[in-house]
Amino acid sequence: MKKTTILLVVALTYFIASCGKGEKSPSADGSKTITFWHSFVASTIPALNDLIKDFELEHPGIKINAQYIPSGDALIQKLITSVQSKTAPDISWLHADFMEDLVEADAVFKMEEFVNGENGLPDGELDKIYPALIQYSSWQGTLYSLPMEATNLALIYNKDMFRKAGLDPEKPPATWDELREYTTKLTIDEDNNGNFEQVGFFVPNYPAAGPLGNWMVWQFSSFIWQAGGYLISTDQSKVLYNEQPGVDALTLWKDLYRAQSLNKFTNDYDIAFASQRLAMAMDGPWNLPRYAEIVKDFDYGFAFLPEGPDKRATVVGGEYLAIFKQSKHPDAAWEFIKWIISPSTQAKWAMTSGYLPVRKDVVEIPEFKKYLEDHPHFRVFFEQMDYSQAQRPIDYGGLEIYRHIAEAMEKSMLGNMDVKKSLNEAAYKSNLLLDSKWGANKK
Amino acid sequence: MNLVAKYYGSAFGKRLTKRKVVDFLTPFAFLSPSIVIIGLFVLFPVFFSFYLSFQKWNMFSSQSTFVGLENYSRLIADPEFWQVLKNTLIYTVGTVPLNMVVALFVANELNKRIIGKKFLRTLFFAPVVISPVAAAVIWRWLYDPNVGIINYVFDIFGIGSVNWLNDPDAAMIALIIMGVWKTFGINMVLFSAGLQAIPEHYYEAADIDGAGKFSKFWHITIPLLTPTTLFIMIMSMIASLQVFDIVYVLTSGGPLGSTKVLVFQVYEYAFKFFEMGYASAIAYVLFAILFIFTIIQIKLMKVKY
Repeated sequence: MKKTTILLVVALTYFIASCGKGEKSPSADGSKTITFWHSFVASTIPALNDLIKDFELEHPGIKINAQYIPSGDALIQKLITSVQSKTAPDISWLHADFMEDLVEADAVFKMEEFVNGENGLPDGELDKIYPALIQYSSWQGTLYSLPMEATNLALIYNKDMFRKAGLDPEKPPATWDELREYTTKLTIDEDNNGNFEQVGFFVPNYPAAGPLGNWMVWQFSSFIWQAGGYLISTDQSKVLYNEQPGVDALTLWKDLYRAQSLNKFTNDYDIAFASQRLAMAMDGPWNLPRYAEIVKDFDYGFAFLPEGPDKRATVVGGEYLAIFKQSKHPDAAWEFIKWIISPSTQAKWAMTSGYLPVRKDVVEIPEFKKYLEDHPHFRVFFEQMDYSQAQRPIDYGGLEIYRHIAEAMEKSMLGNMDVKKSLNEAAYKSNLLLDSKWGANKK
Repeated sequence: MNLVAKYYGSAFGKRLTKRKVVDFLTPFAFLSPSIVIIGLFVLFPVFFSFYLSFQKWNMFSSQSTFVGLENYSRLIADPEFWQVLKNTLIYTVGTVPLNMVVALFVANELNKRIIGKKFLRTLFFAPVVISPVAAAVIWRWLYDPNVGIINYVFDIFGIGSVNWLNDPDAAMIALIIMGVWKTFGINMVLFSAGLQAIPEHYYEAADIDGAGKFSKFWHITIPLLTPTTLFIMIMSMIASLQVFDIVYVLTSGGPLGSTKVLVFQVYEYAFKFFEMGYASAIAYVLFAILFIFTIIQIKLMKVKY
């Protein structure tokens, strides 16, 4: 009697502990369920649900099971665990930085297999997607994913403050020199106590190792390209951010940062902008609804980032959809991605989510054209996609190299270190890393 | 007779019967859920990360490569590691004594007859049970250079504002203050228990001898509290050397890496750059430090008590 009870208790404990591990049974009606991991913010979820509903109506045999995973570190950690435990999703949203590890682990399909497959894309279809996004979707020149949406970085400015400072509110700074000049004019210390009541232009500076370090470097890379530079050499063997364009870009940032004593300024630049303590900042299209909500009683506009000494450029971002090799229905997953990147879906998705379309020909759709006319702020971002830099994503050790750049930025802006010296120090570390990565790869 | 002997018989000579084997195994069956959990989530990782510290592994690939002591030699050559180690020690040296002084002071005051004792005790203990992340977010606001209340108070007294979280010199101090606030409550409770265990007649005898308040505290309270004090010192030290969550939220290791501590670096290499081998090596250095400190302190305790 006693023994049986003990056995039962132990068995029950293990049973409870192992619950929830069971495999999902295929749905009864024979439809294919595609698990889709994403990190869209709460305000985008309704648009996403609409999108999925549309897809399911058009494709009765496929069900999309969208699951929210917190972005950044959490997403990649979960992807690793799922790949190792054979529970990977069919499709996941990726950041370009994840590609290296996922490809090396042989976790994702080459997207080319689908693009050129039976149910593939017509010739030349890929060329309609912005080249910068295709670069990010690829790793070592091979396409592993496709972009779901695009973003870039533009300038937001307070038109009322421009008027008060005697500047033309319809002429935002067009060059680096004008950016410097306007920033000075818009930075005001009313009582001359060294604390600025109004700051001209927000230059981000976050702890390099913190969650916003990458975001800072992401914004900064626009300026390197504007100055004619690159982050990394074409053959990916060494970094180039410490060359003259990088030095020029960081010098601009450092000068602006220090002249405005931004180390004493808040990092919540959007709130500072809304409370009229800040005249200009950089931001992405995803924050358009936020500004519409928090800005009251003043006139503001969006503009292209100022043109650098070499050219006009903006950084682009996006999220990329990849199909995992553990997927049971890769063809159905491809059907979904193929549908996502089609012009009509892109147009609708852009209009409902606020993200930019991944292809320019969306503009031929009349509803979208109308939408652009009605939404001038959004139009600035859309038009700026023409200047999205066909950059070179970093294939090996991207996250660590970003960290090195972030450290150099922090050292020069906050620590007042010589720009050239800090960038050279960082580049030395990055190049050591690249040597070891490439060395390991050659083996 | 003691229970073990009664149940299992002595190991010498007596034959094992089936009954005895079952009786012997029964407690383990009951314990097995905990044993499995501890084994899987504590013991296994401990040994596995030791193994990993000699490997190169990115978590994705199915196998890791043996690199010998490369992770450790890289660590020694990395100036960042030494900086981080220094930061960790500064944090520990800054928090532990301050923490103990504050905890002892509060415990001693609350040991007297005062009104609202229980309420105050709860109040001082509250930070311990608040989620560290939530607490760090609150402190980020307190430290804010523009709207933070700390600088507001400083301004009133004409001290001038301090840029707490964005000044490499001030950030560590900010972290230490918050760390002490967050953890002294538990030590206060331990000290209170220690204080209550001191027999009242020592103080009465001292009163008769005409001892003052201070000398009573110095000659009776402090010596009789030594076991508690040592225990608290070991525990606080172990906790301080492993600080992570408040650093992650309050400063993210910045500005200029001035608050980056060991566990933060382990996290960064393990879960951001996926260099599990290097991260494990850092973790084992931390383990070695903790081990040495603990041995020293246990030895100290044995010598005296």
